[in-house]
Amino acid sequence: MTTFSLYSLPLVALILSLWSSIVIASPDYHENLQLHPLPQSSLLASFNFRSNTSQESFDQQHFRYLPRALGQILQHASTKELHLRFTTGRWDAESWGSRPWNGSKEGGTGVELWAWIDAPNDDEAFAKWITLTQSLSGLFCASLNFVDSTRTTRPVVSFEPFGDHSEVDQLHLLHGTLPGEVVCTENLTPFLKLLPCKGKAGISSLFDGHKLFDAAWQSMSVDIQPVCSPDGDCVVQIEQTVDMVLDIDRSKRSRSNPIPRPVPNDQLVCDTSKPYHSDDTCYPLEKTNDKAWSLTEVFGRTINGICPLAEVEGSGEQSVCLHVPHERGVFITEGAEEIKKDDGFTRCFNLASSGSFDLSIPKQLVNLEVPLDEPVLHAERTIVGNGQERGGMRIMFGNPSNISAVDFIYFETLPWFLRPYIHTLHATITGRDGISRELPASEIVKETYYRPAIDRERGTQLELSLSVPAASTVTLTYDFEKAILRYTEYPPDANRGFNVAPAVIRIVDNVHHAPIYLRSTSLLLQLPVPDFSMPYNVIILTSTVIALAFGTIFNILVRRVVSLDQASALGATTLKGRILSKVVAIRDRFRGKATKVE
Amino acid sequence: MTIKTGDQESPEDSTSRADPKPSVKSPPPPETPAAVQTRFRVIAAFWAVIIFLGFPIWWKTTSIYRASLPIEEMVDWAGGKPFWQACRPVFPLDIHLATPSMQSADAQHLLRTTQHTLDDLNEFAAHHLRLKLANDSASDYGEGDLGADASGEVADTALTVRLLPQENLLGPRSELHAAATQLDVFYPPNQVPAPSSWNSPLSTYIAEELQGLYGEEKATIAHILHTAGLASTSPQLAEDISRRLRRSMKYAETYHLSFSLFTPGSRPSSWDIEAAVNEYVSPLLKALSPISDFTVDTQVQLYANFAPTAPKPEFDESEAAWTLKKEDLSAFVNAAEWPLNPSIGSGPTINFILYVPEPSQSPLIVKENRASSWIVPQWGGVFLLNPTLSNDKTGESNPAHLSQDSLGPAFMTFSHQLLTLLGTPSTPASLPLRLQTSIRVRAATLLLSASSTMGSLASLTESLPSIPIPATVATSVSTTLSHLSSTCSHLREGRFGAALASARVAETEAERSFFEKSMVGQVYFPDEHKVAVYLPLLGPIGVPLVVGLLKEIKRIIAGRKAKRAAAS
Repeated sequence: MTTFSLYSLPLVALILSLWSSIVIASPDYHENLQLHPLPQSSLLASFNFRSNTSQESFDQQHFRYLPRALGQILQHASTKELHLRFTTGRWDAESWGSRPWNGSKEGGTGVELWAWIDAPNDDEAFAKWITLTQSLSGLFCASLNFVDSTRTTRPVVSFEPFGDHSEVDQLHLLHGTLPGEVVCTENLTPFLKLLPCKGKAGISSLFDGHKLFDAAWQSMSVDIQPVCSPDGDCVVQIEQTVDMVLDIDRSKRSRSNPIPRPVPNDQLVCDTSKPYHSDDTCYPLEKTNDKAWSLTEVFGRTINGICPLAEVEGSGEQSVCLHVPHERGVFITEGAEEIKKDDGFTRCFNLASSGSFDLSIPKQLVNLEVPLDEPVLHAERTIVGNGQERGGMRIMFGNPSNISAVDFIYFETLPWFLRPYIHTLHATITGRDGISRELPASEIVKETYYRPAIDRERGTQLELSLSVPAASTVTLTYDFEKAILRYTEYPPDANRGFNVAPAVIRIVDNVHHAPIYLRSTSLLLQLPVPDFSMPYNVIILTSTVIALAFGTIFNILVRRVVSLDQASALGATTLKGRILSKVVAIRDRFRGKATKVE
Repeated sequence: MTIKTGDQESPEDSTSRADPKPSVKSPPPPETPAAVQTRFRVIAAFWAVIIFLGFPIWWKTTSIYRASLPIEEMVDWAGGKPFWQACRPVFPLDIHLATPSMQSADAQHLLRTTQHTLDDLNEFAAHHLRLKLANDSASDYGEGDLGADASGEVADTALTVRLLPQENLLGPRSELHAAATQLDVFYPPNQVPAPSSWNSPLSTYIAEELQGLYGEEKATIAHILHTAGLASTSPQLAEDISRRLRRSMKYAETYHLSFSLFTPGSRPSSWDIEAAVNEYVSPLLKALSPISDFTVDTQVQLYANFAPTAPKPEFDESEAAWTLKKEDLSAFVNAAEWPLNPSIGSGPTINFILYVPEPSQSPLIVKENRASSWIVPQWGGVFLLNPTLSNDKTGESNPAHLSQDSLGPAFMTFSHQLLTLLGTPSTPASLPLRLQTSIRVRAATLLLSASSTMGSLASLTESLPSIPIPATVATSVSTTLSHLSSTCSHLREGRFGAALASARVAETEAERSFFEKSMVGQVYFPDEHKVAVYLPLLGPIGVPLVVGLLKEIKRIIAGRKAKRAAAS
């Protein structure tokens, strides 16, 4: 059960205790929804769907819970473990606390994919990786086929397999990201099709593309891994999760008239203690957590019964849980049963097997708040510098703890056209007192794995093993140079900039032995962009110059030079000459008249 | 040859012209021959560079590589009359006559008379039966080897006829082995033909029996080869054959069989699929293995609804069942929502759908014929399974699990549908014989399809002169042609397994050459575009060069004329 020990932080401690009580073999399908109101009137909804298929029936291609399309892709590409993430938005760690699932179920902005592939050597592993990305691209309607060698890395220490793999497999870890991919409804539809209940029954019936992709942050994940029990029975486990943070106010807007309107004056919540508070001035108070909401208002739908495959008689497992203080009132649909847990903040619901389920929370002032976990590390990455030629990267790590240092691995993939100068890597440490001092990078960076880029073939891979002392902020900086691309390598709308994949931070937690993952936001890199009509201008300009030079030389070589008199005499004999002399005569007559008038 | 300062005039010109004093205008002295010669050389040199350097470079850099293809041979192979010039496919079937209890001379005589009768009966010359005496009449049982390893020089044995005398029989009687290529003929011992007679009841009986066995195959091959319908083929049989050929899948080396359980609700959610596949499908696939390879995968899909536009089943009072109209069956499979994507890997996927209707719509049948299954041509088959409903507290519901017994009828139907989709004929009763027939039919189909692909490729390359033809296409074409002719010779010599193997290679290579990617690649810049871009260069350079050339030619012609005039 090592896999499950991942979810051992308080937010999910309950699930862990439930799961570990269940034998792996039965039942084979679970689904679970955790609703967690967050500060500033946000709501975190974590959906989890998990099923097991025995290794035997997987090998014989008898698919029941595991989707056939996905299973065949895995077999075709000899992929033993697969992790796929679709993420949009940004997790606001300062107000929302630590990440759901400790960050292990989320990816960087866009699409992230990593897999352990069984292959005899690196080249074959890469060929299978390409097969995998192409097939997944078709299955999930995502541009995963653009994950080529420049976007593929082989991380050394940043990822470790979750599954139990046999010794004989020669596993290769490959990792690819598409930071510019826009995740949308076309990715959700295939995701829902993979579920046994297809979004028609159970908690998956809450999914609505409009709401999901309207969220402040959302992450969809697919994980497939083999899990073996100590007595040697192996199952292939597929776990799909969807996490989203919805703004309750925003979600409650009516669908027919979604344009946001200013709050009427009499409904404004003002801080009356301010000296300037009056009828026409107002200092708005922070959004409070006592908002009234219901599933129908937030998700636009109700839960349509339960997925019968997850139905377990008397297992004590509930598929919907809500984390609010017990003193808060919650109304639920008739037929469902509420179970309050001992921790004082969790209540779960036993749903009726058919019929819709809705829960609503009335507006109520509650003093007690559900405690939020403080993140172990804050990380932020920005591009600094100006100009089209050079730039710099600045990465800040803040350790909020006052007692212990944080050890972690920082993993960064840079596109080849961003050329970092690793010798310029500098570290600055800032204490709580605000005084910062330079120190050699080697004091912070314990180990470095650096694989330089090759133009147009692969990107830079940088893995740093770092340690940030207690109550301090470490800033790493390094310089880079921006390469100039070839004319055809610029994408459409090159002036928008180029996406740089988010950095992945893996915090090694010695207490829990489960890694905590953190991802920075993706960056936009401005490259020098040429004038795209340039080639045509160059062709036309050179052509004109060559034509001028050629014409002059050719004329000098070919023409005969005579005196002016001789020329006119010669001209008089030809037709052209005669016409010309007539024209001259007429002109002369006009000129003559003109002089007369004068 | 006069090039003068033209119409632009310098200010001095106009002042001098305004001057009333007339200037003395005298033509310039004639050019020296040396100057004329130099000008000629200059122009010639420019044109020489253009013709001998410019054009070859332009030609070389812009020409498209077109490997030479044996167009005539390819057209010869393609359908219609010329096809018969390249290859006349014949299907001689070797039939061994085992006569364990007959004198050698008698057996020879029987063989001759039977062959004679057979030849009289046969009306399709391309397909004929050749009788042979089995070498070792005791041991040759013709154990149905389907010709998979028939790469040797010996022709395949299509059928072994064993003649067994039996007392107390009025006339001969025959028995076909269902699992072997063997026909036992029992005859009364007194019916052995006398050496003098040319017509005996026994030989006539054997001939008619054989004719009957191969009747359908003969008609099928005749249909494939577009020969005029055989007189003996009934319209009913002809219709059956053309229908089967329309329905059957294109031949492939590997077929993926995909069995899916679809149900609109949540039950049943599991089935004894492993046992059912082992019981009903695997034996058949083993028998079919010489023709193609098969992979099997299965899936369970719940909450599979009909497409919103599809017609809904209607309740029929008289049948006490929900019915689907026959013409609505094509909309039954909801291709947009049901995950029926083809399997990965080469080869087509054959889909078999087991549909369990909702309890509220059970039983579900086809209105016109009360059938519960149908074939979707070239795609797969559908079976409607109406399990016994169980009553519980929430009302009627489908069983949660389908046992192997309840899957039996469905999988029997699926195996029958599979044979139909693979184009196996419906007669004779012996499966090995039907598979042998299907080898010959497949070989004929592939031969025809590969040769018509060759014809299409030939006409394509001729009609589109701007597409490139890479060398790989030429290689593929020559491989195809050589394999086509070897198929043809294998057929002539009766080695059908080898013929099928060659035809497979020919078909694969033909498809590869026809669908070569680099041939369909479009030129990114059209010619007009290039000309427009380079016009600033070509215009100013081209005009003086052409004018210079024309003037020089004019001068030379004038010079010739003057010379001729001077001479006369």
